[in-house]
This record gives sequence, C-alpha cells and structure tokens, in this order.
Amino acid sequence: MAAATAFVLETRLLGVRSLRRTFRVPANLISTILFPLIQLFVFSQLFKDIVSLPGFAASGNGDSSYLDYLAPGQVTFTVFFAVAWSGASLLIDWRNGYLDKLRASPINRFAILAAELINVFVGSTFMGASILVLAILLGAHVVTGPIGFVAIVLLGGAFGVAWAGTSMLPALLTKNEQATGTLALLFFPIAFMSTAFVPVALMPDWLQTVNAWNPISYVIEAMRSLMTVGFEGDVIGKAIAATAALGIVLQGATLWAFRRLTS
Amino acid sequence: MTSATPPIVEVNDLVKIYPATRGGAPVRAVDGVTFRVAAGEFFGFLGPNGAGKTTTIRILATLTRPTSGRATVAGIDVLADPSEVRRRIGLAMQTVALENMLTGRENLELIGRLHRVPAAELRRRVDELLELMNLTAASNRLAGTYSGGMRRRLDLATALVHRPTVLFLDEPTEGLDPQSRSALWEELTRINRHGTTMFLTTHYMEEADRLCDRLAIVDGGRIAVEGTPVELKRSIGADSVEIALAHGDGTETLAGVQASALARLRPIDGVIGVELSASGVEVAVASAQAAVPALLRGLDADGIRVAGLTMREPSLDDVFLRYTGRHIRAEEADRPLDLGWW
Repeated sequence: MAAATAFVLETRLLGVRSLRRTFRVPANLISTILFPLIQLFVFSQLFKDIVSLPGFAASGNGDSSYLDYLAPGQVTFTVFFAVAWSGASLLIDWRNGYLDKLRASPINRFAILAAELINVFVGSTFMGASILVLAILLGAHVVTGPIGFVAIVLLGGAFGVAWAGTSMLPALLTKNEQATGTLALLFFPIAFMSTAFVPVALMPDWLQTVNAWNPISYVIEAMRSLMTVGFEGDVIGKAIAATAALGIVLQGATLWAFRRLTS
Repeated sequence: MTSATPPIVEVNDLVKIYPATRGGAPVRAVDGVTFRVAAGEFFGFLGPNGAGKTTTIRILATLTRPTSGRATVAGIDVLADPSEVRRRIGLAMQTVALENMLTGRENLELIGRLHRVPAAELRRRVDELLELMNLTAASNRLAGTYSGGMRRRLDLATALVHRPTVLFLDEPTEGLDPQSRSALWEELTRINRHGTTMFLTTHYMEEADRLCDRLAIVDGGRIAVEGTPVELKRSIGADSVEIALAHGDGTETLAGVQASALARLRPIDGVIGVELSASGVEVAVASAQAAVPALLRGLDADGIRVAGLTMREPSLDDVFLRYTGRHIRAEEADRPLDLGWW
C-alpha cells in the first residue's frame, strides 16, 4: 500500500514536470493542431459533395455534412501529432543524463514512464478538445451534446496513450531519434486506410478486410457515432476494446523495453 | 583514515566488463578495484578518460551493475538494497542533467520532493542552495536560459538538496572556464567542510591536487597507486634544485666549476643525487626548501659562485607517468557506444 502511494506521488511529481515541458512551449501546441486543422478546413470544402455519393448515405451517418464526417478523424490526427514525439522525450532524458539522475533517486523507475503517459493523456485530450472546438466553430455539430463532446475527447486521450507506444517502443529499442521519428510517420498510411475520410462501403474489398483490423477505424467510428448518431453502446464498446488491445500490446512492450533499458 | 568510524564507501575487487559490441571486443572498464573512503573525506580518482572512473561512479550510484566484486555505500550493499543507497547519495555527472523547461527553483524542488524532503525544510534548503550557488537572482528563470557555469552549479545543487551523506562527482568542472572552475572548487571545498563525504573523478591534476585529501591514480581500470597528493609526490623521490654556476672570468671553465660543485654538494645532508645540467648542476633532494640554504652555504665555502637557482616540486603528472608509464592525456573509450538494436 505504501508502495502504491509512493508510486502515485512520484508519478504526479514527474507528470507535472512533463506537462510543463509540453505546455510551456506554445509552439508545441500550435504545431500539433496545424496539420489537422488545415486538413479539416480544406477537405471539408474540397469533398463537400462526397456525402451525396451512393454508399455514403447508406453508411448510417444520417444527413450530416462532410465536415461532421471528417471531424472525428481529425481528432485522431491531432492526437497522433500530440503523441508523435513522446518517444523522443524519453530519449532526450536518456541521452542528457536526466534519466540517470532520476534513477539515482529513491523512486520507482516505472513512475518515470507513467509520468510520460500522464503527459500523453493530458496532451491528447487537450489537443483533441481544441480541434473539436475548432470544428464546431467551422460548423460541425455534436448531436450528443456536451457529454458526447467529453466522451469523444476522452476516447481521443485513451487512444493517445495507446498510440504513444508506436513512438516510445521504437525509441527505447533503437535509441535513435531519427529512426523513431520516421517510423512514427507510419500513422499516415494507416490513418488514410481507415474510415477517417471515406466510409467502409466506398472501399475496395481488400481494403475493407484490412480495415476490419485497423484500430484507428474503431476509434473514429465511435467518435463519429457520438458526433452524428447518438450513444451507440456496441460501437463505443468496440472502440474501447480496440484501444485497450492496442494499448496493452504497445505499452506492454514499451514497459518491457524500459525495464531492459533501466536495469 | 582512522579505523574507528566505518568507511562511507567500501569497494572490494570490483570488476565491470561491458559485453562486446559491433566491431569490438568486451571492454574491461573496471578491472579489480579496491578502495575505501572514510567519513568526511574528500577522495578522488585521477586518471585519463577511459580509465574506468565513470563506470566506478555509476556502480556506486546504483546505475550500473558490477560484473563481480562488492561495493557498499554507507554500509549498504549497492546490489542488495539500491533504494537505501539512493537515499544517501548525491550525484553530479559529467553531463549536466536538468529540466530546461523548469525554473532553477522548480528543478531543485522536484528532486527534493522525489527524495521526500519535508515541505518546510525543502523551502529552506532550496533558498539556502540557491544562495550558496549564487543563483538566487535567476531562480525563477527557466534552467534552459542559464549559462554553462550556472547550469553546472544548479546541477550540483540538485545533488545536494536532500543532504546526501556522500556526493559523487564525475568530472565536475569539465567544460568550465578557469574562473567558474575555481569558484566551483571553493564551493566543493565548503560542502566537504560541512561534513559531506566527497568522491570525485577528474583528469585534471590541478583539480585533484587542490581538492582531494587522498586520491587514487587509475589507469586501464586499475588503481596504480593511492595516497595523499603530498605522499604521492614524495613517493616518486624528490624535488629538484637547478643551480646555474658562474664561470665568467676566463680562468675557469664550466666543466671545472661543475666538477668542484659536484664534489662539494654530494656529501651534504639531504642530497639524494647530483647531475650535470646545461648551465650548472641539478640536485635531487628530499625537500627543496629545506635543502637550499645548506647547498648555497656549501658552494659559498668553496668560492663557487651561483648565477641562478630554480626549485621544482614533482607534479601529479610526474606521479602518473611514474606509476603508469604514460602521460595522463592519452585517451581511450570508456564505454562502448550504445546503439540500441539494428
């Protein structure tokens, strides 16, 4: 019990440090939101009429606009940018000796990792909420109201924690910022193959099969359901399951790699 | 070192072998090192880069596991109970480790709170350290904006915030300008005077000479010799006194004067040896200061005139050369580059 209390305290102290590192640099926040914001703005204009395609209406999004359709995907893009450098922060600590300084203190070393995940979660929810607010200002609607808004944002935060593993794990294994950063870009093909831009009905058969295994799609579908349909338990359940599975695999491996690095 | 108080650091036959990496053989970074540091002592490892100094400190600070041997800090085995060791040590490594996006004060508070320093005491302690390190005016600025010397001092302060029993310093003045260096030396001396046991590694002889009560000369992962700076310098024999002889009036040659001087000086008490030099003689003595009056009186008695005199004490570089066969400047890689996978 005392060990658990100590772990929580250490995680909180180090979490505040990580959050300050993120939030004290306005450029971090602005650069995170720029890409999805441009995508949201340009694509919602460029493909405005895509919603009238046969197969689009049939995908169960009612008569919502393409902006409504697009917004959830851009939440995941924003979350991706918020977590894309999480592995690099671990590497910076490792390289400049701060990790050693923390390891030479009487703390649970896993609090160091947990603190990074706190930062990832808070950063993801904050940035996800920001892009969603901007989408609403552009004219998007959340049919489930404030509760739905919070649910979308929390789902984004959870996805951020899980997806951060794609940066942290390669960082700990390769110990190379460049390789880690380049690998992170794999998000793009995976996201473009998801239902971020077009519904599954408009995908070729093989892509539909691939899509069934794409965790990003499940997250987006749940967010979109909250945006345009209502509280659909099964859709939300699938998103939670997909996020949890992704998180357990990636963060589990990250934990193993971190233990290896610090022993 | 008295045997009454138990040593703060005790190391027995410590070995660290880093496994072979790409294109290399296994590295015996530490190769059977044994030493003790007494409470309150300022102890140092003097040696070139690659001598195993950093690895030894990393083992004592519980960051690296030794391959074999035993190391205890404040009586606690570093392998058996690392967290208890961590409570008692402060660590300032060669590279300054700070959070740039925290202020100086926040950096200190974070480490203090991780060490569970009670809030009221921490506030007092942080103020005191900021004052000591001359950082009070900059305490609310982000550490990322500090100059090199300020960063070094803040880093040292974070190592002291929990009042460690022993402070490990790995090349603490590396990369500092001469002025910051001597200021830091004074601070380290003061910290030690307040009771903190110090273990320092350095490849600056002047630094070891100035700071350490006792030091070990290390090379190739082994301790070549150990003692106080004075003992070490004395152990390689002698001071030397170089005497230039006058022979200007044409009736005597330099060689003639040298021969008379040689005969006159050899039997004098305290003289270890006399050799000819370019302008006179070079006399090896146990202590230059003690011997010079007798040397001059001896020469004067025989009417040998002295044109000049230079005294030279042996330096730690002479000691290093004597015990390792090379100068301290030679470098080798201390630790293989960690390349991760692939």
